[in-house]
Amino acid sequence: MINLKQIFEPKSIAVIGASREPSKVGHAIVKNFVAGGFPGDIYPINPNATEILGLKCYKNVSSIKGKIDCAIIAIPAQFVPGALEECGKKGVRGIVLITGGFSEVGNVEGERQVAEIAKRYDLSIIGANCLGVLNPAARVDGIFLPVYKMARPRVGDIGFISQSGAVGGCIVDLAAYAGIGISKFVSYGNATVIDETHLLEYLGKDEKTRIIVMYLEGVRRGKEFIKVAKEIAKKKPIILLKAGVSKKGAEAVKSHTASLAGSAEAYRAVMKQCKIIEAKTLMELFYFAKIFDQPLPKGNRVGIVTNGGGYGVLATDAVELFELELANFSEESKKILRKNLPNYVNIRNPLDVVGDADSARYDLAINTLMEDPNVDIIVVVVLFQTVAIDSRVISVITRAADQKKKPIVVISTGGEYTEVHKRIFDSYGIPTYHSPTAALDAVQKFVWYADFLKKNKRIG
Amino acid sequence: MELLEGIATLKKYGINVVPTLLTRDLGEAKKIGTKLGFPLAIKIISPDILHKSDRGCVKLNISNVEELGKAWKGIMANAKGARIEGMLIQKMASKGIELIVGGKVDEQFGPLVLFGLGGIYVEILKDFSMRVCPISKEDALEMISEIKGLPILQGARGTKPVDLNAVADLLVKVSRLLSESKIKELDLNPVIAYEKGYVVVDVRMIE
Repeated sequence: MINLKQIFEPKSIAVIGASREPSKVGHAIVKNFVAGGFPGDIYPINPNATEILGLKCYKNVSSIKGKIDCAIIAIPAQFVPGALEECGKKGVRGIVLITGGFSEVGNVEGERQVAEIAKRYDLSIIGANCLGVLNPAARVDGIFLPVYKMARPRVGDIGFISQSGAVGGCIVDLAAYAGIGISKFVSYGNATVIDETHLLEYLGKDEKTRIIVMYLEGVRRGKEFIKVAKEIAKKKPIILLKAGVSKKGAEAVKSHTASLAGSAEAYRAVMKQCKIIEAKTLMELFYFAKIFDQPLPKGNRVGIVTNGGGYGVLATDAVELFELELANFSEESKKILRKNLPNYVNIRNPLDVVGDADSARYDLAINTLMEDPNVDIIVVVVLFQTVAIDSRVISVITRAADQKKKPIVVISTGGEYTEVHKRIFDSYGIPTYHSPTAALDAVQKFVWYADFLKKNKRIG
Repeated sequence: MELLEGIATLKKYGINVVPTLLTRDLGEAKKIGTKLGFPLAIKIISPDILHKSDRGCVKLNISNVEELGKAWKGIMANAKGARIEGMLIQKMASKGIELIVGGKVDEQFGPLVLFGLGGIYVEILKDFSMRVCPISKEDALEMISEIKGLPILQGARGTKPVDLNAVADLLVKVSRLLSESKIKELDLNPVIAYEKGYVVVDVRMIE
């Protein structure tokens, strides 16, 4: 039976292929577990070493007395079957098989052998040929990339599944840099035993994961995937980037339909049917994922606050482009705004609080829209280039977001000064975008999903 | 699969197909024609003639018995030397909005059902939507509303809106047919949709 808990939340781990050599994968893994503060037992395995990073080293798993939940294997492919047999006999059921050199290079027999051993001992194997797993909350860091090269994200609620290790590594690094938190990360490579559907199912049930993000190159059990995804999408959003959309030109098709319906179209159909949110680029994965931390919007009416007139226009265009609605402020809001804002501020949506706006003006505008029954989503444009605005606007926006009444997104465009502030917003959990189109594209996905949840609830 | 066999399969699933009969005898053809009602189309069925129009073996818009006799003879003359299984007598569908409904088996996800506006819309603009079978009525309605040409179905430029409910039912039936059969590729092209109901004019099934 597939058991992923022992891999994502192990109490004890063994690193088969642990190394004293800092440039080796087997060294980085042990180091990351130690440095990451993993509270459980760490057993480095290396027949030629007595100690690695201050930990006692073992010749093999059978010489360890205690129970081992998960073994991380980073030894050459030809030694893998032997190591798996040993794990099986010892009773280690969770395996992360980092080692490559299997079906991805034509070694189908080797991969078949791994699958066969897994079946015989009931091993749950992630890999082969993968980057490993990350669970920041449990301080599990089984990724072999050094921390100084690939930063680790904070604890958050985005669960990330990546077929590719390379793409996965970049995303984890970027997430950490942008201040975006994750609940779990896994790169599963060849999917010899555990595939995308198993992982999706696991994250679907995982209470710490509220948003699921996937990077896939293919799906192995199509029907099963649809079934699982459909169920999960009713509870948490799934955002998917499907790579490899090239057409299979060689396929001989006779009908009109078959000539239109290639594999890419099939995937798109599956996403629509399962209510999976499709991302077309890596950046969209981020843009879409981070907005889902916000309270669900009750409708599609957007209220815009900006300190730049041009950005108000751009944001309004983006509202229309993504088929959202520009809110009509309530009479009550207009009264409050007119009374408290300078007389040269035009009281309308987009609300241009003008280039000399300070954080107090933002405070008034945002809080008024927060109470306005005609506004479902608040889009705040902060252009940090002006004289009056400074870091104080951060606490204004974070306090408003803390009310958890309506979704707030921030749009901010600029250089280093802006970037610093954007990262602070993002790490606080306020989705921040460099452009109105990026922001409102994400808003549109969020509104669509909220609407689906609402409809689904009514039907169910 | 033979056309008549295809039509029979569609009928089994309660799908409306334009009335179509096969005969080898002109006398019988005239009787059938009178019964179905004009205008009619006739087409030859012959294993030796693949491109019927190119060989002058199709005649459309036949409006009475006399014309039917003339068309029959003309086609027979053009088909001289070929093995002839019979002549297909088909009622001409009245004008409506042309749609395409199709099916294909995807190696990963199994049968898929496709919906689009017929003719140039699907061919050139690639305006179609798709789902994995089986689909629910909600899925079907969603498929219909997804295409860019939706306003055409809703009655653009003074035309009457088409029966989207019937079209959605058709999609559900086709999805069931695809799920339960061994059909690898399917084209219902065109399907003509009306203010009330629809009719399938031509079908191509590949097993």
